[in-house]
Amino acid sequence: MKLLPFDHAIRNLARSPRRLFLVVGGSTLVSLLVLGAVAFSRGLEASLGASGLATNALLLGTGSEESVERSEISPTTAEALHASVDGIAVHAGRPAIASEIHVALPASLASPEQATTDTASATRATEESPIMVRGYETASSLVHPQVRLKEGRWPSGGASEVAAGPEALARIDGAKLGSTILLAGEPCVVVGVFEAPGTTMHGEFWMPVELLAIITQRSTRSCVIAALGGVDEAGERIDPQVAFDDVEAFTAMRLDLETTAVRESEYYAQLAAFLAPIRMLVLITALLVAFGGALGGINAMYAAFASRVREAGTLQAIGFSRGAIAISLLIESLVACATGALMACLLGRLLLDGIAVRFSMGTFTLAVDSAAIAAGLLAGLSLGVVGGIAPIARCLSLPIPLALRS
Amino acid sequence: MIHDHAKSTSVANHAWIRARKLRKVYRKALRDGVQEIVPLAALDLEIARGDFVSLMGPSGSGKTTLLNLLAGIDAATSGELWIGDHNLVHMRRDALAAWRAKEVGIIFQSYNLVPVLTAFENVELPLLLSPLGRRERTERAMEALTTVGLADRAGHFPSQLSGGQEQRVAIARAIVARPPLLLADEPTGDLDRESAELVLQLLDQLNEREKMTIVMVTHDPRAAARARTRLFLEKGELARREEAVP
Ligand SMILES: Nc1ncnc2c1ncn2[C@@H]1O[C@H](COP(=O)(O)OP(=O)(O)O)[C@@H](O)[C@H]1O
Ligand SMILES: [Mg+2]
Repeated sequence: MKLLPFDHAIRNLARSPRRLFLVVGGSTLVSLLVLGAVAFSRGLEASLGASGLATNALLLGTGSEESVERSEISPTTAEALHASVDGIAVHAGRPAIASEIHVALPASLASPEQATTDTASATRATEESPIMVRGYETASSLVHPQVRLKEGRWPSGGASEVAAGPEALARIDGAKLGSTILLAGEPCVVVGVFEAPGTTMHGEFWMPVELLAIITQRSTRSCVIAALGGVDEAGERIDPQVAFDDVEAFTAMRLDLETTAVRESEYYAQLAAFLAPIRMLVLITALLVAFGGALGGINAMYAAFASRVREAGTLQAIGFSRGAIAISLLIESLVACATGALMACLLGRLLLDGIAVRFSMGTFTLAVDSAAIAAGLLAGLSLGVVGGIAPIARCLSLPIPLALRS
Repeated sequence: MIHDHAKSTSVANHAWIRARKLRKVYRKALRDGVQEIVPLAALDLEIARGDFVSLMGPSGSGKTTLLNLLAGIDAATSGELWIGDHNLVHMRRDALAAWRAKEVGIIFQSYNLVPVLTAFENVELPLLLSPLGRRERTERAMEALTTVGLADRAGHFPSQLSGGQEQRVAIARAIVARPPLLLADEPTGDLDRESAELVLQLLDQLNEREKMTIVMVTHDPRAAARARTRLFLEKGELARREEAVP
């Protein structure tokens, strides 16, 4: 089959700039949305993956294995665990084991009066979307090596002070180091900013666990986190796997504590699986919106090819086969859509990559990685092929005499 | 232009184009059944190789239908239509397309040039279907443009040409592959008298010098007068045939 020259297709593209714009725009939209949805999914996955360490054991209340926030355990659990398990890591003489409270609280910037009075008017604050607040102990820094203080200092015990992850601060308009914020109506001064890039902690507030217990009026803790891999009496390093088995044995023995042990990495992996429907929802929403863009593009393609029925008839009369003409039209549609897809990749890389997405458990950043780029390109090219088929078939459907008369 | 196909000698006893009981029926689905339109009833026709034929008749008499059948772009309902050794009625679509590329040049009333291509590229189009290389294609296309007197417009786009010039480019496109048969459906219908005259002179010249067989549908008696054979169609039948006295 003799084909029409490639550059004829390219030149035909420039025939109607308005239609070209619609096709390229439609495919840009489609590609960008698919790319964004994949970046969302990948970012969430990466963040959850980075947030949990395989060498950390997480003790949760039995029955709340899938949610730290719902878990309640006794404040004495950490001590009991430390007393009976050998394999807990020790840093600078201190055991790496911390009791923490994880709770999502409404947060807002305090007005000047609220900053001074203690009679908190929580009414406005509760309208804010909740932000993850972590009550920590000094040993928390040992089990979360991803966290580093960037500015200021850690809260001193007693005073109403918090440290903030950058994304948590960014969620509250005007909040910065030194600001007073309301957490569940309680004024707290931001005395430090920490960093934990790529993890959910990047979007949390941290305050001493005793203070958070008072604010939230709870006597329980959410979890105990222990870094595994200590040394035994002989100075031999204990394998974290063995240590974890010991932790599990501890939970099995101390049924009165009603705890269950999971590896921190496993917990986050489960969380990722638990969030799969949300990721699917994001993808489906993106696809639905993309469908609109696709229809716009296909519509423009219909119009573009419909106006060329007579030309297609002429080419057939000259002796070109329908197949050759169809391929030329398909190249047109593919080139237009590929242009849109490339633009989407560029836009995605420039605009979406690294954007913080906040959710109740903290923050993660969109990851426009090669998978997201590939998905975006594929979406654009599919639009070029699938979207082109109907308009092309329509353009070539008439018998030659009728096409010539159109 | 040199023709390698002007070798037919059997014209006297065996016409080059032969139509026997050629019939074309269009079926139109209506609310109360099917309506049949019969643009060609049972046409018998012979055209000798090298002839210049004009096809006249009232509107709707089947002129375009006949021309489309001769061009192999429409399929007859029944009958026979021989052009040389080919019975077009029995040829498949792909075979017809390949046959067209070599054997027929078509000129339309409304030129039908491809707007995004220059005059040269429009003329070159049919050669893309031939095995010719780039250089030969360029030579042949320029030669065809020279024949129609538009070599200096090779780089112009259709929108930059007058109607008469567009039609001459279309003629160059129709003859560039050196087909033995040239078909024209009211080629001067959209042209002013001067341009029409130029186009008719060209057809004359192609018939005289290049020995092309030409069948031209026309309403214009002056145009028809140029032809050697004049056919009159009426209601899908051949009503009259006139041969010009040499
Ligand atoms: N594709 C078609 N479908 C239905 N009827 C057609 C079609 N093409 C032509 N006709 C009809 O066939 C008749 C002859 O048409 P045509 O050959 O174009 O006439 P002419 O060229 O002599 O004016 C007309 O009545 C026309 O309406
Ligand atoms: Mg007609």
